[in-house]
Amino acid sequence: MSEATTDAVNRDAVNLDPVDLEIRWSRLAAITDEAAATLLRAAFSTIIRESNDYTVVLMNSAGHTVAESRAGIPAFAALIGTLTERLLKTIPAESWHEGDIVITNDPWIATGHLPDIAMVSPIFHRGTLIGFAGSAAHVPDIGGTPTLDATELLAEGLFIPPIHLYRDGVRDEAVVALLRANVRLPVQVWGDLEAQMAAHEVCRRRTIELLEDIGEPDLEELSHLVHAMSDRATRAAIAAIPNGVYRSSLDADGVEGQPTHIECTVTVDGERIAVDYSGSSPQVAHATNCTLNYTTAYSVYPLKLLLDRGTRSNHGSYRAITVSAPEGSILNPVFPAPVLARHLTGHLLCCAIYQALADVLPERVIADSGGAPALRVQFAGRDELGAPFAAILFASAGMGACADADGLSTTAFPTNSGSGSIEALEATAPLLFRRKELRPDSGGPGTRRGGLGQDVEVCNLGTRPIRVALLGDRSQHPALGIAGGLPGALAHARYEDGTTPPLKSVSALARGSAITISFAGGGGYGPPADRDRAAVAADLLAGLITTTDAYDAHDGTGTA
Amino acid sequence: MTEAASSCTIGIDVGGTFTDFVMHDAEHARTHTAKLLTTPEDPSRAIIDGIRRLLEASGMRIDQIARIVHGTTLITNTVLERTGAKVGLITTEGFRDVLEMGREIRHDAADLYARPAPVLVPRHVRIGVPERITADANELIPLNEPAVLKAAQELVDGHGAQALAIAFLHSYANPSHERRARELVRSLYPELPISLSADVAPEIGEYERTNTACVNAYVQPVVGAYLDRLEKDLAALGFTGTLSLMLSSGGLTTLAQAKAVPVALLESGPAAGAVAAAHLAEQAGEDRVIAFDMGGTTAKMSLIEGGLPHVTHEFEAGRVDRFKPGSGLPLKTAVIDMIEIGAGGGSIAAADEFALLKVGPRSAGSVPGPVAYGRGGARPTVTDADLLTGHLDPDHFLGGELTLTLPQVREAFEELAARLGIDAGRAAAGTLQIVTENMAAATRMHLSEKGRDPRAYTLMAFGGAGPVHAYALARSLKVPRVMVPMGAGVLSAFGFLVADPAVEDVRGYATTLPAADWARVRELYQDMESHAAALLRRMGPDTAQIRHARSADMRYLGQGFEITVALPDGPLSDSCVEELRRRFTADYVAVFGRELPEGTLEVTNWRLTSSLPTPRPSLVRSASAQHGGDANPNPTPNPVRGRRAIQLPGVGVCEATVYDRPALEPGSSVRGPAVFEEHETSCAIGPDATATIDAHHNLIIDIDYAYAHSASEGAET
Repeated sequence: MSEATTDAVNRDAVNLDPVDLEIRWSRLAAITDEAAATLLRAAFSTIIRESNDYTVVLMNSAGHTVAESRAGIPAFAALIGTLTERLLKTIPAESWHEGDIVITNDPWIATGHLPDIAMVSPIFHRGTLIGFAGSAAHVPDIGGTPTLDATELLAEGLFIPPIHLYRDGVRDEAVVALLRANVRLPVQVWGDLEAQMAAHEVCRRRTIELLEDIGEPDLEELSHLVHAMSDRATRAAIAAIPNGVYRSSLDADGVEGQPTHIECTVTVDGERIAVDYSGSSPQVAHATNCTLNYTTAYSVYPLKLLLDRGTRSNHGSYRAITVSAPEGSILNPVFPAPVLARHLTGHLLCCAIYQALADVLPERVIADSGGAPALRVQFAGRDELGAPFAAILFASAGMGACADADGLSTTAFPTNSGSGSIEALEATAPLLFRRKELRPDSGGPGTRRGGLGQDVEVCNLGTRPIRVALLGDRSQHPALGIAGGLPGALAHARYEDGTTPPLKSVSALARGSAITISFAGGGGYGPPADRDRAAVAADLLAGLITTTDAYDAHDGTGTA
Repeated sequence: MTEAASSCTIGIDVGGTFTDFVMHDAEHARTHTAKLLTTPEDPSRAIIDGIRRLLEASGMRIDQIARIVHGTTLITNTVLERTGAKVGLITTEGFRDVLEMGREIRHDAADLYARPAPVLVPRHVRIGVPERITADANELIPLNEPAVLKAAQELVDGHGAQALAIAFLHSYANPSHERRARELVRSLYPELPISLSADVAPEIGEYERTNTACVNAYVQPVVGAYLDRLEKDLAALGFTGTLSLMLSSGGLTTLAQAKAVPVALLESGPAAGAVAAAHLAEQAGEDRVIAFDMGGTTAKMSLIEGGLPHVTHEFEAGRVDRFKPGSGLPLKTAVIDMIEIGAGGGSIAAADEFALLKVGPRSAGSVPGPVAYGRGGARPTVTDADLLTGHLDPDHFLGGELTLTLPQVREAFEELAARLGIDAGRAAAGTLQIVTENMAAATRMHLSEKGRDPRAYTLMAFGGAGPVHAYALARSLKVPRVMVPMGAGVLSAFGFLVADPAVEDVRGYATTLPAADWARVRELYQDMESHAAALLRRMGPDTAQIRHARSADMRYLGQGFEITVALPDGPLSDSCVEELRRRFTADYVAVFGRELPEGTLEVTNWRLTSSLPTPRPSLVRSASAQHGGDANPNPTPNPVRGRRAIQLPGVGVCEATVYDRPALEPGSSVRGPAVFEEHETSCAIGPDATATIDAHHNLIIDIDYAYAHSASEGAET
C-alpha cells in the first residue's frame, strides 16, 4: 500500500469551498452507487443477487479508490484498489488504451477465491488516462471440482491471471472461448461478466460527465482531497480509542482433525490501528485457507463499522489501518493452497476483533454472530424429467447482541446475504420445505439476548436421491457472548433417521425423506440475570425461549 | 360532449396537516378550491365542513354534486405510526415466522446497529395450521379444518384480534385452502375482517404476499370505520352521487373495493399529483415528462410517458428510516413508480463532521418550519435560502410578518457559514446548489435504472417548492425544457378530477415462454377481465368503454429482475411467442443496452390493468378561474412588477425582471433572467432561458445549453 504521505491536505490550498467539495464528493459516490445498481440488476448469478457478492469502485490514475459502492460487499472495495496498483506495475499507465478490459481471479491479488472475477478498465478523458473503473463479482461457476477436498488451488477451477478480455475495445475471442469452455454455465457466467462491463461503462460515462461539468482535467486534485479528509476522519476516530494492545483468541471447527485457531492482536497506537494474527493456525490442505487479501478485507470491515456509521469510504479510509498475518498461516497461505471456502476462516475475524476490543469499546462491539461464518446448503440432482438442478438455500443464523439491543435473529453478519423465497425455490427443484422457522432457545442468553437461528426442514419430493452439500462451522464452537453474555446454540443437521451429517459434508437425501438444518444462534451481551424481566416474559410469550432457566439460575456473578 | 345536468365533481385530498378540496363544475367551467386543517381524530369532519364551504361559495346544492373523489394519507400514516388493528395471522404450519424473518438482510451494511422495521403481527398471534399446496398447485396435505377454527378462536377470543390475515404457501397458484379457511372463520365470526394473501397479492413470494395480507388486515378496520362514517355523513348531507377513492396506481375504485383491499390505497395521496401531471402533459403534447413535486419535506419524481405515469408493483410501507430502501415493509401492490427524496422547503442545512455543507433529509416540517416563518425555527432551511438568494420575495411572502424574521434568517446562515468557513451568502447559495444536486442525483439514478436519458425529457414542476427549484434542477440534469403548470402549488388535488376508474390485477404463473400453457393463460385473463368488468360496472354504466391492457413480467431465465412487457392484442397463443420475445428484447436493450440472444425467456406474472375512461374537465380555465373567477376582471394589467437581484445556482447573481405570472397572456415570451411570481410559488430563470406562456397557460421554459456553456464559464467562482 502506498503509505507515503499522511499530512492532511488543506482544502483551502486547492480553492474548493465546503459547498463545491460536497457536491463533487457526493457525485463521485453517486457514480459507484449507480454502477452497482446496474451490475445487480443485470446479473444472472443468484449469488450476486441474493448474497450481494460483488463490489464496484472508481479509482484515480494511481489505482486509489475515490468512490466505493455502498451496496455489495463493503469489505471488497479496497481490494480492487490494491489489485489495480499491482496491475499498474505490470501494465504501466502508458500501455493502457481506451476500451481495454483486464480480468483476473487470482485469489492472492483479487478477492480470495476463483469464482470471484475482478475486472479493471481504464477511463480516458481528453486523451489522457485519468482513472479506472473496477469491480468484482461472484460468478455461478468457474469449473473445477468445487469441494472442500481439493488439496491445491488448481483443482478448484479455472485460474485466470490478469489478462486482457478486451483490447482497444476489441474482444479477445480466444480468451472468451477458453473461459466459456472451462465453466459449466457459460451463458450465465458470460452474462455476469457483461453485467460487470455495463457497470464499468456507467462509471466511465458518469466520471467524464462530472469532469466536464466541473471543468477539471482529471481526478487528481479531487481524489487527493477526499483521501485526505477520509484519512483524517479515520485517524480522529482511532485517536479516541485508548492506546493499548488488545488480544483475543478463538477456535472454530475447522476441518477434520484440524480445528482453526485464531490469535488476534489489535494494537491501537495514537492514530493507527494494527491487526496481527501471529499465532494462528498454519495453512491446511483444505479449502478453508484465507489469502491475506481476504483476511485484510474482513478485518477492515468490522473495524470500519466501529469507527463510523457509513461515511463515504475510499482509499484514504484505510491508510491508518494495517493487517498482517504470518506467511504460511491459514490467514496468509502460500500458493497453491486451496482457498475456495475461505469465508469459513475469514468470517471469524470480526468475532476475534470485537472480542479483543470488548473491554475498551464495550458500548460499540457486538457478541459473536452465529453466521460468522455463514452456513451454506446446496441441493443438487435431477428432477423428474432427468434435467439437472442445483439450488442454494440462503438462510441465516442469529447475530450477536450489543450493549443496547438484542441481536438480530436470522440475519447474516459479517456478510449480508439475504434469503430467497421458499416458493421460488420449490418451483425450481423437487424439494418440499416442511418448516423454516425461528429456532427457540438458540439465542445466547444475556442482558441483551443473541439473535435466534432457524430450523429448516427439507423433504425430497422426487423419486431420485438429492445430493446435499453442507458447508459451515459452529458445530462444536458456538458464537460466544460478551461481557458475561452466554453463547448461542450450536449449528447442526439431522436426517429423519437420526444420522447427523457433519457441517462440512456431502450426503444423499433419499426420496421421501427429510433433513433438518439448524442454524446457530448469536452470542448474548451482559449477564442474563440483568435482563429486564419484561423482556424475558415477552420472549417466553413469543416462544423465542421455552424456559427462563438461563435467566433465573444465575445471580449475575457466576455467568461470565 | 353530452353531459348530465349534474356534472359537478369534488376532489378531496386528506393530508397529514391539511385537507385540500377542489370542485369542478363542468357546465359552467368553474373551479373552486378550499383548504382546511385535517381533523385526525375524525377526518370526515373536515371533509363535511369543506364541502359545505364549497357549496356556499359556489351557490350549488349537494344534490348537484355527481361525484366525490377522495384520496388520503390516513392509511399510510396508520402503518407508519403503528396505529392499526390487532391482527392475527393464520398460516402454513412450519412457516409462522416468514413475516418476521423477512428477507434476512441488513438494509444498511455500513451501520452495525441498523434495525429492521418491527413486524405488525407479533409471534404469539401467528399460528400455523396443517395444510400444504405444492409449487405446481396441487394439494399435498388437505386443510386441517378443526385447526383453522381453533386458531381463529385463539386469535380472536384469546388475544383479541380485530382482523385476520390468512396466508398459505403457494396460494397464488391455488387459493382454495385460503378461501376455505375464510369460510370457516366466517362461520364463527361473520363480521370479522379477513384478508387473504391470494386476494391482495396473488404473486409468488411468500414473504411479500404474507406481508401485504397483514398490512391489509392491519388497516382494514380503521379504513372501514372511517369510510362507513364518511358515507353516513355524506348521506346526511344529502349526497346521492358516487363516492370513489383513488388507488395508489392512480385509478379510481369503489367504496366497497377500498374497504376490501385498503392496502391498494396506501399511496393515494401522492398518486393524485402524478395523475394531474400526466393529464397536463398529454394536454400540452409533452410525451416524455419527469414529474417533479417538491413540497415542505420531500421531493417526489415520477416518469410520465405517452400520458401515463409509470406504475410499479412493489412498494415499501412504514420505513424506519424514511429515505433508506429496505427499512420498511415490502409489499406487492400497484403504485405509481415514484422516488422520494429528503429535499423540501423545510430541509435543514447543516455542517457535517468534515465541515462540509449538507442539506436534508432532516426537515423543519411545517412546525416550527423554516426560520422565515417566525414560529421558532432556528436552523436555516431551503426556503430560508430561497429568500436570501432572491428566489422568494420577502414582501410577498407571508404578508408583512416577514420583515421581522428576515434578519433572523440571515443570522441563521451566518452561524452556519461560520462553521463552514465561508460567508452567509455563499452558505445560502450553496444550500440551493446542494439540495439541487441531491435531487438531480436521485433522478439520474431513477432514470438510469429504466435506461432513460434525462435530456430527452421535459421537467414538469409543481408543489409549493417545485417551480422555485426547477430551473436549477433542469440545468443539473441537462433537461432542455421545464413546464410549470398554472396553479402548480395546488396541482395535486386536480388529479382527483381527471382520474379514471381502474382495476389492477395480477396472477402468478411462472413458466418459460416456450413451455407456456396458453390455455391456462387465457383462463387467467378471462378470470381477471370478468372480475375487473364487474367492479368497473359499479363505477360507470358504459361498460363498452372498458379498456383492458395486458402485460407480463418477463426476464431471462436465471435473472432476478423482471421487465413488464405489454402483451399483444388478441387471443394469446403459441403464435405470440415471437412477438413477445421481440417486445421483451426491445425493452431489455433499452434498459441494459445489450441482449442475450442465447437466453431463455421466462414469464413470472401476468397482469391486467382495466380502466373505464370518463370525460375530463379542462383544467386550463379551471386554474385561472381560481384567482379571478371565470373572467379576468382586469384584462390588461401590467405583468412587470419590477426588478430584483437573484442568485441562481450554477449561474451566479443576475438582475432579473419580476413578472406577475397570472397577468401574462398566452403567447407572451420572456427572455431570462426573470422571476415569475404567482400566489403559491415562484419560478426564476437565468439568461440562458426563454419562457413562453402556452395556450393552456403553462409556463414553458426552454434552456439554451449552447448559451449556458459560453456565458457561464467562470461565472460560478
